[in-house]
Amino acid sequence: MIDVQNLTKTYVGKTAVDGLSFKVEPGEVVGFLGPNGAGKSTTMRILTGFLSPTSGTARVNGFDVFHQSIDARRSLGYMPENAPLYMDMRVKEYLQFRGAIKGLSGSLLRKRVGEVMDACALTEVRRKIINNLSKGFRQRVALADALVGKPPLLILDEPTNGLDPNQIRHVRELLLAFKGRQTILLSTHILSQVEQTCDRVLLLHQGKLRADDTPQNLVRKLRAASDLHLEVSGGTGFEEHLAKVTGVRKITAEKQEGNWSHFTLRIEARTDIREAIFDLALKNRWQIRELRRELPTLEDVFVELTHV
Amino acid sequence: MRTFLILLTRELRSFFYSPVAYVVIALVMIINGFSFRAAVAILERGPQQGSLVSWTFHSQWFWLSYFFIFPLLTMRLFAEERKLGTFETLFTAPVRTWQVVWSKYLASVVLYCLIWVPSLANFFIFESMTAGATEIPHGSLYGIYLLIFVMGLFNLAAGCFASALTSNQIVAAVLSFTISLMHYLLGVFVLYLGRRIPEQFVELVHYIATVEHIRVFTYGLLDSRPIAYYLSLAFVFIIGTHQVLEFRRWRV
Ligand SMILES: Nc1ncnc2c1ncn2[C@@H]1O[C@H](COP(=O)(O)OP(=O)(O)OP(=O)(O)O)[C@@H](O)[C@H]1O
Ligand SMILES: [Mg+2]
Repeated sequence: MIDVQNLTKTYVGKTAVDGLSFKVEPGEVVGFLGPNGAGKSTTMRILTGFLSPTSGTARVNGFDVFHQSIDARRSLGYMPENAPLYMDMRVKEYLQFRGAIKGLSGSLLRKRVGEVMDACALTEVRRKIINNLSKGFRQRVALADALVGKPPLLILDEPTNGLDPNQIRHVRELLLAFKGRQTILLSTHILSQVEQTCDRVLLLHQGKLRADDTPQNLVRKLRAASDLHLEVSGGTGFEEHLAKVTGVRKITAEKQEGNWSHFTLRIEARTDIREAIFDLALKNRWQIRELRRELPTLEDVFVELTHV
Repeated sequence: MRTFLILLTRELRSFFYSPVAYVVIALVMIINGFSFRAAVAILERGPQQGSLVSWTFHSQWFWLSYFFIFPLLTMRLFAEERKLGTFETLFTAPVRTWQVVWSKYLASVVLYCLIWVPSLANFFIFESMTAGATEIPHGSLYGIYLLIFVMGLFNLAAGCFASALTSNQIVAAVLSFTISLMHYLLGVFVLYLGRRIPEQFVELVHYIATVEHIRVFTYGLLDSRPIAYYLSLAFVFIIGTHQVLEFRRWRV
């Protein structure tokens, strides 16, 4: 559905995207991640034909985004960052206008506008002027606009930016409902959402691709070790005892709370020593208040790959 | 073509969503009332050279309305989209740049024509009220409106160009006003220099002088050169607008 080869975009004196290559297969939901200024929006603008690449090629649905721009644009629905809209139009009128320039007409147009207003919960506000809508509603209008032409590919730039948790959940459910039927490339800074919705993650840093894998694989591969939180009391020399447990790599003593000692243990990959710890405590008659394994998250991967 | 009509409709509607259209129409109507009145007053004083039409379009009132129309009509067209970021939604839909440029331009032309309707009506109302006692030379009347139309085509195109350059409507308006005014001044400065300049140069300036064009047309003469001149200038500015919008897609 998307095929990007060696894409480079240089603004005056600044390389925003640097030799980027990736593919997105039909039906995939791909998360496009990266810190601020990584080049996500720039890449999306090239894919949607808004900007030209400095070098390299990109194809959408088999059409070159530069040379066959109109055909490529017909195959995609795009929601830009910050949801720009015509502020003086009414919701329904706007969606009808957008549907019409995307080639819909007559009863099909009316039907599609009705459908996307339902899907994005806009029916109540259909007569309101967009300028008077709250940010969440505007965001949904922009999403409805991306959907209205029923394109095989959706490109969404931070669709949940600035929404409250309920709205974020609503958008997530909407995306999950499309899963399998629609190809989606979405950029976001909410990593928990990526873990829940995306089949694959593209991680961009300073215009270069840093990772291209499933969220699970990324987490598994990148953090060799996981952490264990332990709070114990009723003894002394905890550290010496814990160090003898096989699989413990490093022990960090955290702050003491009364007579409770708090440790963070770095554990070897793919081992679970929680039972061993419990046995150890039993043997030495320690009390345990907390024993919690912390699985690495996509956030850890993100930080590890992109911090400077 | 369908896409073009959809875009044109949206542009026209958005003119009437904002108060700008109504304000401009009202203001021009009032000012034209003044210039018409001024012309009538002159003719009341006794036999004059020149007709009601030529006196109307030689009053200062006319120039007052002439210059502020173009910035007001065109400043919003592109600058607002650039500011709102809606260029991004517009140009990622399957529309071509020329469709966008021409639809916006044509919308402003349509509005411009609407603006002059009341002033044209002045003449006909006056004629019917005086029951034919006044003589209105129809040839020069249609001539001058044709000229106003093509002058508008040029100035509106220049306004579009100015609007495409910036995201600030005020800057666009000032730029558009400056272009119109410079063009006008280029035509009148010879009058102030007197005859100390070579004859060919005066010829050349007359070729582009708006005041001169108005003089010729209000006398009922139809000259194709000014018309060709304004049309080609309009075309140049429209091409320029197109290039400015396409700039972001240039591969350097
Ligand atoms: N029009 C422009 N002119 C010059 N530089 C630009 C322009 N647009 C973006 N940049 C630069 O290109 C880089 C990439 O920007 P881009 O907007 O693609 O980042 P992003 O990954 O979308 O960031 P964010 O998460 O903040 O949205 C940034 O360093 C930015 O400053
Ligand atoms: Mg961005």
